Amino acid sequence: MWHLATDVWHLTSPKLLPGPVKVFEDFIAKFSSKRSDGATLPDHTWSSLVLVLKGYFFGVLVGMPLGIMMGWSKWVRRFIRPLFDLLRPIPPVGWLPVVLILFGIGQEGKVFIIFFATLMPCVLNAYSGITQTGESLLTLAQSFGAGRVKQLFFVAIPSALPQLFTGLRTALSTSWATLVAAEMLAAQKGLGHMIQINRMNSNPSYIIVAMLVIGVTGALFSLVLGLAEKLLRRS
Amino acid sequence: MKLFGQNSLSPVIGKARYADFSCAAVSICLFLLFWQFSSALFPRARLIPPPTTVIPAFIRSFYEPIGSETMPGHIFRSLYRVFLGFSLASVTGVTLGILSGRNRLANAIINPFIEILRPIPGIAWIPIAILWFGTGENGKVFILFIASFTIIAANTHDGARHVDPELVGAARMMGASSTRIFFTVVLPCCVPQVFTGLQIGLTINFMTVVAAEMIRSRSGLGWVVSTGNDSGNMTQVMVGLVAIGIIGFALSSLLRLAEKRLLIWNAN
Repeated sequence: MWHLATDVWHLTSPKLLPGPVKVFEDFIAKFSSKRSDGATLPDHTWSSLVLVLKGYFFGVLVGMPLGIMMGWSKWVRRFIRPLFDLLRPIPPVGWLPVVLILFGIGQEGKVFIIFFATLMPCVLNAYSGITQTGESLLTLAQSFGAGRVKQLFFVAIPSALPQLFTGLRTALSTSWATLVAAEMLAAQKGLGHMIQINRMNSNPSYIIVAMLVIGVTGALFSLVLGLAEKLLRRS
Repeated sequence: MKLFGQNSLSPVIGKARYADFSCAAVSICLFLLFWQFSSALFPRARLIPPPTTVIPAFIRSFYEPIGSETMPGHIFRSLYRVFLGFSLASVTGVTLGILSGRNRLANAIINPFIEILRPIPGIAWIPIAILWFGTGENGKVFILFIASFTIIAANTHDGARHVDPELVGAARMMGASSTRIFFTVVLPCCVPQVFTGLQIGLTINFMTVVAAEMIRSRSGLGWVVSTGNDSGNMTQVMVGLVAIGIIGFALSSLLRLAEKRLLIWNAN
């Protein structure tokens, strides 16, 4: 349909929407060419991947324990949840001005934005996973003499595992999607940067290449994590 | 997919509510205190205005206009855009989701599109939206539409595909026509999933509208933040962020309430 609308019927001008053939040619060419944005496509993708994985790593490291604690302890929940609910709706781009002041335009700022985006789904899923632990299981463990700590590690966390996994998966796709916002903060490389630069150069076919790479990589991410989850569940 | 934690209401509502409320107040006060003194602790934070400047400015913004509108005006603008994009996205998303969930051919055509479009965030569409629709309202509505459409469609698809085949079989055995089955069995069965999709979609839309307004606009919450940033007015940035936090919180509480009311049979 895309091909028909652009290359065959010429419904739109190529300045607005280049045809799939042109986009595909540019996609291939971009593997080696640094034209118009200063890096090749693999370079862009690699630097975005590194950035996202860093932010994701810290986000999971903080978010999972925090969410588990929020689900487990009433007091942690009472104190943390209101803050969390107020900070949650602020989108990653909204943090840009603040991050710019606190971290400058370096790598830390970008990692922080992705960290923040990862944190939310991790906490929410861990939290709801832990709170949905069956009351009877906990009572059973208790009557066998398990302490609170043992109950948490041997009953609550294992029973929340599927939800924790959902959290990991959602967090990965969210952090990947935040990439574009994070790279709006001065960057030299990266897929988000590629979109920004080519927008200024009004080069729509490179924008679409970058978007498609983001889309396909994101889909691959969730596929891989889905497989990992299946493997882990079986063992 | 689940993005929202369940609101666990304890049986002794009165006392627990009171404790919840006071703890929330204490923790927010602690946070404000931390914010107030963070500039003393971290030299880099000194450029961020403390709450003693931001809160009065926030209150003032309700009667003194920022740019062309007062705060309620900005809030209204943003919510109106969200409403437009979200209603378009829910109508198309639910229709396509049900189609692809119930019909194998439609699934083969629609699903690959949705799977590829889904990981592309709303703000990545901004350059394309500007190329196609210009910098006016249509472009923003398009961005909002595309940001929530895929997630609504994907959730509806899941819901429609996992309708209990035994229920459908039973209805068929009792002689219900396929239209009738569709309206009385399939549709009600996927309502909870559709609702989850709508909830996530609306939250995403609220976040995306802020991003979309940062690019080009003359009003709205995102505009408040981005012009504050452009003119080096950090107080205005913080006022905008506070407003976004509060409105977003109100929106998600409303949705949770609606879910509890509307989906009363769906216990978990």
